Amino acid sequence: MRLRDRLGRHLRNQRVLLGGLAALLLLFTPLFYMSQRGRDLPAALVANRVLLFVLWYVNVILILVVAFVLLRNLIKLLVERRHRILGSNFKFKLVATYVGLSLIPVLVLFFIATELLQGSIDRWFNTPLAPVLARGSLVAQAFYDRVEGTAFRDASRALGEVAEIDLERSAERPRLTRRLQELLAELDLDLLAVYEGNDLVSAVLDSQSGISSLPNPGRDFLEEAAREGRAVRRDAPAGGVPGRLVLAAVSEPPGPVIVVAGTLLDPLVARETDQIVRDFQSYQQLEVQKDDLRASHLLLFLMVTLLILLGSSWAGLYLAKRVTVPIQALAEGTRAISGGDLGHRVDVEADDELGVLIESFNRMTEELESNKEALERSNRELVEAQRLAAWNEAARRIAHEIKNPLTPIRLSAERMLRKHQQGDPGLGKTVEEGVEIIIREVMTLSAMVDEFSRYARMPRPRPTQVDLSRLVGDTLSLYRDLKPGVELAAEVEDGASPALIDGEQVRRALINLLDNAVEATEAPGRVTVSARRENRNGGHLEIRVADTGRGIPPSSRDKLFLPYYSTKGRGTGLGLAIVHRIVTDHNGSIRVEDNEPRGTVFTMELPGEQG
Amino acid sequence: MLGLLVLASQARADAKISDLRAALDGDRVLASFNLTGGIDARLARRIDSGLPTSILYELELHKDRKRWYDNRLDRSTLEVMAVHDAVARTYSVHLKLDGELIESRTVRDREALEAAMTRIDKVPVFTLGGGTPRGRLLIKVRAGLGSRTILSFIPAAIHTEWKDSNKFRYPGRPSP
Repeated sequence: MRLRDRLGRHLRNQRVLLGGLAALLLLFTPLFYMSQRGRDLPAALVANRVLLFVLWYVNVILILVVAFVLLRNLIKLLVERRHRILGSNFKFKLVATYVGLSLIPVLVLFFIATELLQGSIDRWFNTPLAPVLARGSLVAQAFYDRVEGTAFRDASRALGEVAEIDLERSAERPRLTRRLQELLAELDLDLLAVYEGNDLVSAVLDSQSGISSLPNPGRDFLEEAAREGRAVRRDAPAGGVPGRLVLAAVSEPPGPVIVVAGTLLDPLVARETDQIVRDFQSYQQLEVQKDDLRASHLLLFLMVTLLILLGSSWAGLYLAKRVTVPIQALAEGTRAISGGDLGHRVDVEADDELGVLIESFNRMTEELESNKEALERSNRELVEAQRLAAWNEAARRIAHEIKNPLTPIRLSAERMLRKHQQGDPGLGKTVEEGVEIIIREVMTLSAMVDEFSRYARMPRPRPTQVDLSRLVGDTLSLYRDLKPGVELAAEVEDGASPALIDGEQVRRALINLLDNAVEATEAPGRVTVSARRENRNGGHLEIRVADTGRGIPPSSRDKLFLPYYSTKGRGTGLGLAIVHRIVTDHNGSIRVEDNEPRGTVFTMELPGEQG
Repeated sequence: MLGLLVLASQARADAKISDLRAALDGDRVLASFNLTGGIDARLARRIDSGLPTSILYELELHKDRKRWYDNRLDRSTLEVMAVHDAVARTYSVHLKLDGELIESRTVRDREALEAAMTRIDKVPVFTLGGGTPRGRLLIKVRAGLGSRTILSFIPAAIHTEWKDSNKFRYPGRPSP
């Protein structure tokens, strides 16, 4: 691989890693910020219903995404395993390991953290703080009740006094005011006022109290007092009133006169009392929101867990893919190469040792391909050379074979000519002998030409159902007692017959093989013809001719089936070429091996459809 | 699956809308109804804690159709929010229509509070006009009573059943 490609891939991988890290950082920064800020946020906001629902729906989406990612990859892996795709088992194990290694600890952590959180929240609310605050609040309320009770009693007393004064007469007003002043001092009140309906009749204030102006009790308050006979209010400090003021109003329905008595609480006591009540209320708020608080924390935990799960699953799948894809490609490459496709290259990007492995693999296949091409070229050249040599040999042999009969023909003709020139009286006998020789040699030549001609015009096989056992037996009988001491045997299995072959051609092949076998075997020896079928239901047919003769040297075996090639130094050299042609015309094959312990075995394999 | 999870976040309240009546005041549709059993122990605790607590009434104006689903013409929300002041021993009740404050009052006891939050009397909730189709109209109301959690972490909004009002007809604006 070129340096530039390597560098490019390295940079791409770096970018992917950096991008992933940046995404994680971006994800966890706001989460961390939120968790830090969450401590300062009011409980009401954390337990806000909208926030809860948003968190819940985010979690639902995350659950769906995680389930989708995991299920999609699981189904893909299962389908790959079912289809026995190379490397799928390894991929499945690797992905399961990666995902399991991230899934299990994250889930364990989530459940432990959840239990801890639930326990912690329960413990917070199981402290003795609650009853303390409740009792404090009760005391505070009792204090207010007491103040209000006193104010009501004082207001009632004042109402009784006011009832004796005719308020309709304006001359009585100074008397009313005086009486109110006396009652204010006597009852130790800070404010005393008389209303007719919503209208103020008279009011007095304790100058020592700090109240600078008469606070407006409000229409609602006065109407409630007129309607119900009494009303009470606790006013917070406001303009003109320096502290909490308890106002108690009484009337005698349906009378319009209302007396309002006001008691200003000691600021310190009022503030602390109010604080006790507010503290208890704050605690109640927390308790009311306990479930929502717990839910929001759980949902935040769940969200972070799911995000980690999603990230780790994705990373696991990505890493598994980076390992398994190159290995899968290498395995497929190996299969392609073993299937003979030397042009196959692994085109998958990988780093580290896997990248080196792919490079080595591709280099190896390149070398294999070039070696194969060189070998094929050499083979072709060799075959060409062998063919040329065979033709040379055939030409030499044909010349020799033709020359052999020509010499006696020439000699006979010369002898007849010489006798004729000498006027030899034995010319007639000489002519008779000479013509005999010439005719015999010409017939030899003719037979030889016929043999060549037959080889050249050998017809295509016409298969029929043949009793192979009988064919072998008949053929062997031709050689019976031909060579004393050479035993002939036939071993034809039952399943070999009938055979769908061209009986005549196979018989001829057997004769050619038996010619050689018998000739090569010296007594005592044995020639065996055996036949068997691979299996009874149409398997290929195997016919073997084995002898215990002198054998064939390995150097001659390659050229054995070439036409006009002979190791015997005589004959046409067409016998084995004809056998080879018959077998190949039957779409079969023939091989030659050493026989054990000595001799040669020719094995013809004819395909099932044919056999 | 998403649908199931979303459905899981809905819960049916024991409370129910009763005595729902719709009346016309010119172009305005006035709604009156009661929410029975609306303030349960959970809601009462929340109110007493001083947290602003709302009952959200969802109102829909429909055209009545006899053999098909009613046709929704308009919708509005009426929020009744209570805030308890434990020191002053008062409850402030605010009534908001579509987020707009229409009434505030202060009550001093639980009975008055419950009445203020659950008895709605002749509140104008819709305004009809020229676009209002002829035919019988009705309003539908349901109350949202906050939320609770299922399995400690699934939030579920609590709603009452929808309740239908009496049918009424809008005669249209009188000609000038």
